[in-house]
Amino acid sequence: MAEAPAPVQVSTVTDPAVSPQRTLDELLLPVLERAYGLALRLTRNPADAEDIVQDAALAAARGFATFRQGTNFKAWFFQILTNCFYTRHRRGRARADLSLEDVPDLYLFDRAEELGLHRSVPDPARELLRRIDREQIDEALQRLPAEFRTVSALYLIEDLSYAEIAEILKLPVGTVRSRLHRGRKLLQQHLWRIAVDAGLVADRPRAEDG
Amino acid sequence: MPVDRYTCDEAFERLNDFLDRELSAEEMALVRQHLETCADCTREFAFESSVLDTLKSKLRRIDLPQSLIEKIRAALSGPRHREP
Repeated sequence: MAEAPAPVQVSTVTDPAVSPQRTLDELLLPVLERAYGLALRLTRNPADAEDIVQDAALAAARGFATFRQGTNFKAWFFQILTNCFYTRHRRGRARADLSLEDVPDLYLFDRAEELGLHRSVPDPARELLRRIDREQIDEALQRLPAEFRTVSALYLIEDLSYAEIAEILKLPVGTVRSRLHRGRKLLQQHLWRIAVDAGLVADRPRAEDG
Repeated sequence: MPVDRYTCDEAFERLNDFLDRELSAEEMALVRQHLETCADCTREFAFESSVLDTLKSKLRRIDLPQSLIEKIRAALSGPRHREP
């Protein structure tokens, strides 16, 4: 088992719905499904995801005295969870892939234009993504470098603000913003390539794809 | 001097922050004002917004293995990790 992370600092994100003096079990069980979903996106396989969630649950038990009742338990637990992920997957904490600069803005918008979707359907994005199933979207997410995948998963799955993601990952808000925006562009390119490889859409050669 | 309206470039620079509701109220209003008068930007913003909404809705459903709940309950009820 991975070494437990150091106890995390108390979250500053308040959650007024949380009543005082709730036990770890009461707080943990409602967020387990989301935690497992996040762990699955981070680790890329169910067995590793289960291990990470178990590590995090045990670390949370050990550090529960540092959790301030009435603050956001989910943010606190997700911080522990991402620490556990990085403890087990240190090599995955590589620097950001600088080649992301090459991904143009509006990547899928332009592909939808090539397919004629903007003229033929009212919601071309939905029509394009309708062809791509959840597993393929997961695959595109999992192709992102770990640092981009983490912020993207927290954003897409949990709908957290930049400040909340920054608090969980202990990063500056500007770093979260930058990784999220760049990861979003790369995700669009991965989605398109997965759709092309699966024969869901017809591609045509273009300069940025090499 | 305060900005009274955005150009297409200024609005596009704020596309992601706008969709994520991370702009100030004043900036949000200026982007909305631009979109009301620019069909091209409106198409781009609507497309990107729909991409995000669709991805979020498709990614949200995950089935939590019952075995994991049981393993965690067992681990947390062990003597070393019992709450005081």
